[in-house]
Amino acid sequence: MRVLLATTEPVVRLTPQARIIAAVLALAFMLLILDLIRRDRLLERYSIVWFLLGLAMLAGAAFPILLELLARALGVRDVTIALFSAVLLLLLGLALNFSVIASRQARQITRLAQQSAIETIEQPGELESTRPEIDRG
Amino acid sequence: MAPPAALGAVSHTRGTLDDGGGTTSRDRIVHNRAVKTLVFIPAWNEEHSIEAVIADAREHLPRTDLLVIDDGSTDRTAARARRAGAMVASLPFNQGVGAAHQTGYIFALAHGYEVCGQLDGDGQHPASELARLLAAVESGEADLVVGSRFAGDSDYRASRARRGGQRLFSMLVSSATGQSFTDTTSGMRALNHRTMGQFARRYSSEFAEVESLQQAVRAGLTVRELPVEMLPRTEGHSFITPLVSAFYIFKTLVVLLVGQLRPRTTGPDGRP
Repeated sequence: MRVLLATTEPVVRLTPQARIIAAVLALAFMLLILDLIRRDRLLERYSIVWFLLGLAMLAGAAFPILLELLARALGVRDVTIALFSAVLLLLLGLALNFSVIASRQARQITRLAQQSAIETIEQPGELESTRPEIDRG
Repeated sequence: MAPPAALGAVSHTRGTLDDGGGTTSRDRIVHNRAVKTLVFIPAWNEEHSIEAVIADAREHLPRTDLLVIDDGSTDRTAARARRAGAMVASLPFNQGVGAAHQTGYIFALAHGYEVCGQLDGDGQHPASELARLLAAVESGEADLVVGSRFAGDSDYRASRARRGGQRLFSMLVSSATGQSFTDTTSGMRALNHRTMGQFARRYSSEFAEVESLQQAVRAGLTVRELPVEMLPRTEGHSFITPLVSAFYIFKTLVVLLVGQLRPRTTGPDGRP
């Protein structure tokens, strides 16, 4: 039993230098998000999750106990590995979420294209000239 | 499994519809019902063949409306189709064959067509053959009729590799649907109002011909294959290389597997 407990006790922790860098990066990241919203490059609805991620980074840098609790919960001795695992899973989830959003938007674009195509039946010959200007992604 | 008797019965009507004279009693029965029929032709950069396809359809399907669905062509497909007298629906950018087909179904539903047929824009599908498929749908024999190059003793010539690939697709779709199919990638089809409704609601964007067969069977629609003659491609060439084929087969597997897991879609009245 003592052996088991010993293995779950985190032994590798973040150095103060790493924590300072993480805190600075987290602040810079949150500023970047705010700037993107301010310049209308990012919709609020997509910014919230990134902002929360920045806050979590800052919290992790400021209170190392949080990371140690995370490492204990995951059963790893190395705090950095716990950090990497959590971040990787989070990014995986986000990537999947964006694929779902992209799929929904593709369907919506197709519907719009179909409706617009049906409308072109009524107005013969006008679209050919505008065609080449449309960006084909 | 399509009973051979049904296939034989429809092959029998072939002569009466093919002679185009409209003098036999069978012809009168079919056309006096005045079934409002749309034939649509999905076309992507088919400026060299589209006029001939429309002329062929005009000749052999005189009582149908013709709609060319221009799938974001960058050539003169749309202009030539209009000149040849067809209606043209132009998608603003290339969306793939699935979206093009679905555009046809949405239009047909919105304008009260009871039956619709599809021909490829590259000139491989003789309109006289589609007439037989349309007749089979009008007679109520099936909700979706697919023209097959391989069902009868057609002399459509394909390379051995292509035939092998077709056979594999057929095997996959047949085992997924529990119904035998011989030509799963055929774009020559005729279908009725119920099938249009099903396809207008949801239609595959990836592998339209293959997945729609599965979708139709799972929705409880009656799907039949009829043997048809097709012509070799005149313009352009098929882009099927071994690597692309392997990818297609993998994709088909995934698409069919996902299709099997999808809930069966039915209309608000519980019918497909």
